[in-house]
Amino acid sequence: MRVPVEHRWLGLDRRTFGPGLVALAVALVLIYGLPALDAAIPWHNEIRAGDVLDLGDGATAVPPVGWQLEDGTLTGGAGTGATSLQVLLVTGGTTIGMQGTAFRGTARAFLDQVRRSEGDNAPAVDGEVGTLTTDAGLVGVVRSTTGPGGDGVEAAFKMATGTAVDAAPALLVRVRSAPGQFERQRDKVTALLRSIAPGTTR
Amino acid sequence: MTAPAKAAQLAAIEQSGWGRPFRFVQPHNLAFWVYLLGVGGGVLAVLRYFGPAVGFYGPALTGGVLLFGLYLVPWLLLLRHHNRFTSQPAGLLATAFAWGGIAAPFWIALPANDALLRIWSKVGGTSFAADWAAGLTAPVDEELAKALGLVLLIGLAPRLVRSAYDGFVIGAFTGLGFQVFEDVLYVYNGAAQTYGADQVGTAVQMFLVRGAAGVVSHALFSAIFCTGLMWVLGRVPGDRDVPRGVLAMLTAMVFHFAWDDMTGLSGGGALAVVLPFLIAAVELVVLFAVLRRAARQERAWTRDLLGPEVDAGVVDPALLDAVSGLRKQRRAYRRHLRARRRSRHLVEAARDLAHEIARADGNDTPEVEHARSELRRLRGTG
Repeated sequence: MRVPVEHRWLGLDRRTFGPGLVALAVALVLIYGLPALDAAIPWHNEIRAGDVLDLGDGATAVPPVGWQLEDGTLTGGAGTGATSLQVLLVTGGTTIGMQGTAFRGTARAFLDQVRRSEGDNAPAVDGEVGTLTTDAGLVGVVRSTTGPGGDGVEAAFKMATGTAVDAAPALLVRVRSAPGQFERQRDKVTALLRSIAPGTTR
Repeated sequence: MTAPAKAAQLAAIEQSGWGRPFRFVQPHNLAFWVYLLGVGGGVLAVLRYFGPAVGFYGPALTGGVLLFGLYLVPWLLLLRHHNRFTSQPAGLLATAFAWGGIAAPFWIALPANDALLRIWSKVGGTSFAADWAAGLTAPVDEELAKALGLVLLIGLAPRLVRSAYDGFVIGAFTGLGFQVFEDVLYVYNGAAQTYGADQVGTAVQMFLVRGAAGVVSHALFSAIFCTGLMWVLGRVPGDRDVPRGVLAMLTAMVFHFAWDDMTGLSGGGALAVVLPFLIAAVELVVLFAVLRRAARQERAWTRDLLGPEVDAGVVDPALLDAVSGLRKQRRAYRRHLRARRRSRHLVEAARDLAHEIARADGNDTPEVEHARSELRRLRGTG
């Protein structure tokens, strides 16, 4: 049925504009307005000297001073779950992400599972898998990656020592940096990895 | 048949829109194009989100789709029961479900939630965000995103979407779509959190947790929110009540907040065990209060629709009370007849007659005559 001429606009019926425009406007505010507002607000959550990251179940790590904590919590708060942990630390050109999860097996098996789940299509060269022992005695595995998109390090830990390792939560630490930036942050990244300590209960 | 009764019947048909068909494809209607934009955007987001992971996370996704597909069945039966007054066309309800399942979560809520969660972290710090950001984000973004489906359906079917009860039913279907698709998303996220280890176990665990919580989740929130929106809009004479509508919408958002920020509210103590049950009980009480209040208009329309049939002796006053009443009236009718099965059949047949009368615009058609003869047969007066 043709729309009466007095209600026609580009073939549409102007009488239907109310609900359509309201829905479109609200949707666009939510989809584009909120991200724009987010982009306009700067981060002010800088790590200060003495801050300690809560990795759940009493586990901790010491983050680099001056970096922005964009996800995750410090010790002294309500606490977080070791198997649902999400931490994101950012400084110019480099990010450190930490994810905790449940995984039965060794740290090496966990790192292999991570690689399997994500495929390996990116053009990059992987280094050999090495061992890293933290100051608290946690033994993890670490692998470096380098490619045109930048450099990276992946370290996997089981958050316990001794016989409890197999069933303990797993922790993946993932460092990404823009090309040529990693060397500047290497010491801070190493210090963070070495500071990772399991909970006292484990 | 008296003239006032017939006039009331015709007015009820006109106001309620009962019996009108739903046409989805309306190229001249802007709401149709916005709907397509939303669902199309949602489908693209689904493909972007799940596409690269379908291979590796196939077991989790298949398990999630199968389990939550089965989960839909009792929900659809329950909502079909609550659609008994208006009998909204299946096409309209499917349109609401698809908006709730695809456009609302994937086109709108995913980007909006991400942004608002980060804003709370920036404004209040990450510790504050860990406790409260989820509850300060989803009730705003997601309730609005789902309610836009109702707004678009008002544009697509202005004569069909009239009363607060219509808002309740459409809101429930939109919320159910959101809930089920979000559940599948949670299954995928759960499997991704463990990097694909024990995917089927993750799917089953997520099904048990989300399935139980789903009883008082999105379908309930949206039913209350959309009922409130219809009270604010007041699309039937005498149905507008802005304070009540705003209160209902805020109540739905508070329920959503309470559910999402349970940990923050309970402080992680012993209250955490009791609080979900407490909140669920309050939510169900409020849900039925809203449903009862919203159904008043539909019950009045049912009475008006069948009024001339009472005059004609096809429907007796006790049956009219039952078919247009609540559980209490139906129970009274059952006691009056002393026959549970027969009373159920009579109420159902009277409802069929009301629907046929509405579909025939108050005229006598073969379908109306058949519904009358069925009612007479059941009453033993034919």
